[in-house]
Amino acid sequence: MKQQDFLVCRCEEVTYNELMETASRTGCTARELKLRTRAGMGYCGGRTCRPLVQQITQKLEKAPHTRVTLKYQPPVRPISFGDLGGGEE
Amino acid sequence: MYDVIIIGAGPAGLSAAATTANQGLEVLVVDEYMKAGGRLLGQLYEEPDGTYWNGIKESNHLYERANQSGAEIKLGTSILNIEKSGDVWLVYTEKDTYETSHLLLATGAAESPSPVPGWTLPGVMSVGAAQVMTNVHRVKPGKRGVIIGVNPLAAVIASELQMAGVEVTALTLPQMNGLNEEAAHPKQVMNQLLHVAHMAPSALIRQGSKWMKPSIMQDLGITFYPKSGFKMWGIPVHLRKAVTEILGDEKVAAVKLATVKPNGDVIEGTEEIITCDFVCIAGGLYPLTELAAVAGCPFYLVDELGGYVPLHNERMETALDGLYVAGNITGIEGAKVAIAQGVTAGLTMASNHGVQGLKDRIEQSIEEIEQTRDNAPFHFHPDVKKGKQIVQEKWEEMMAAEQPL
Amino acid sequence: MSERITDHPVLDPIERKKEVSFLFNGKSYKGYEGEPIAAALLANNIRTLRYHEESGSPRGIYCNIGHCFECRVTVNEKQGLRACLTPLKEGMEIQSSGMLPTPVKEWRETHV
Repeated sequence: MKQQDFLVCRCEEVTYNELMETASRTGCTARELKLRTRAGMGYCGGRTCRPLVQQITQKLEKAPHTRVTLKYQPPVRPISFGDLGGGEE
Repeated sequence: MYDVIIIGAGPAGLSAAATTANQGLEVLVVDEYMKAGGRLLGQLYEEPDGTYWNGIKESNHLYERANQSGAEIKLGTSILNIEKSGDVWLVYTEKDTYETSHLLLATGAAESPSPVPGWTLPGVMSVGAAQVMTNVHRVKPGKRGVIIGVNPLAAVIASELQMAGVEVTALTLPQMNGLNEEAAHPKQVMNQLLHVAHMAPSALIRQGSKWMKPSIMQDLGITFYPKSGFKMWGIPVHLRKAVTEILGDEKVAAVKLATVKPNGDVIEGTEEIITCDFVCIAGGLYPLTELAAVAGCPFYLVDELGGYVPLHNERMETALDGLYVAGNITGIEGAKVAIAQGVTAGLTMASNHGVQGLKDRIEQSIEEIEQTRDNAPFHFHPDVKKGKQIVQEKWEEMMAAEQPL
Repeated sequence: MSERITDHPVLDPIERKKEVSFLFNGKSYKGYEGEPIAAALLANNIRTLRYHEESGSPRGIYCNIGHCFECRVTVNEKQGLRACLTPLKEGMEIQSSGMLPTPVKEWRETHV
């Protein structure tokens, strides 16, 4: 039975087919897959789908990336412009 | 300026807080949740001796102990970033920046998703979410639920839901896709379950664990596995059925369940609709390491521990001066191991801060972690000890190298 | 339909502080002070907390411990608060957010 498409990245609404297709067409790394599709670049910072995005490209790579994870960037929680500017609530 | 800041008020963080504060250090614990305890809060299961491991009581006990020893505990506070400036670690929250000489990351674990079509519908939640809603906040996640994913975490939480009067109509596999081959493969899931077979009060599985050891028998076992499943704590567990879709308009109304072959392929025409008002996704846990990563810690991927872990030694020191780790950030294990790791991290921080005479106690605490691990009633990952060995080896390799890897 | 668990066979009853009223999308509900907004709403049988900014698909709690940000709501005009982490207070005005005009998705289709 054919697998129905589904979302992998809930924040940026990137689907399974989109990720698999992009990964197999470009043979890219996890980082590139993330940049191409925006999977893992949404509001949650990739906390939900990160293991899946890494898994997709790991399979296509000859040597697994045992030491390099997808990049993490501060702030690890979203910050409002108000807080950023030190303004009042 | 604090002597010690601990990020995460779970079992590891709280035990480290009590340990360091008892050594006379100025300690701050920060956690974004409204209650202390972390994932421990939701835990409730029967120990082999018949008593209950009550996560709320254990959390309260750890909190009180940390509090009484003089640690300051700030809840409801998210950390945005950490950064080293000279000899000082800067810890940024939304409002304030704190400084410390020793920083312990005890940030625990996040849940790995196991996506299926329809999993963004309201009413679909991670299995940990249902656990917290039920045991911590005492609101039922729904009347009748389906748990997707058959693994130790799913089984334990299913029993907790049932205890609270929430009907769990089935534990079942997800339909196989390119992201979940292991979790959706009946035979592999069966193998994983055999590791925790002693937990299952089911004659089938308990008997099965004896005669299913040879692979050929496992094939037979899964082939003859009853299509209607077996019952664990009265909950049907299906290894030959998989959810192909979660149905609903504004929220969950049902799941579509299909029979699958022993290799996980869906058998056409076997779909049935199971009505439910909530669905739990049980994809397992992975170490939540984001702060270690932004700090620049070297990592290694250790599947036996649930994912990438920051490299650390037995004393819970990372490769970065003044940065320590304890608990599930070092690999997915039970709360008791996390508590033991917290003690070691605490003693190491105190020793590094200049408290004399802790050498023997640190050695002893490291042994206690091992003993706690050996005595655990089950392991989330059966090869956790091998995983720990890999971390140790990679740490030593890194230390032996001129340049950090 | 969701309900509160008042009589657990093993766990001691939790301390429910005073009952408070709050507004969700303009309608008045009751919950307990200090419990997460997400729990209070679920006890009132409300699962949909927001609609996705691009697709408008309904979303509710997913991780329930602050990791996934799916439950973000506007509380007393402060946007992006996690309903699972925010303690309920008397008189809170909680608003769910909806679809926004964002052309990002179209950009992706031609650039991936």
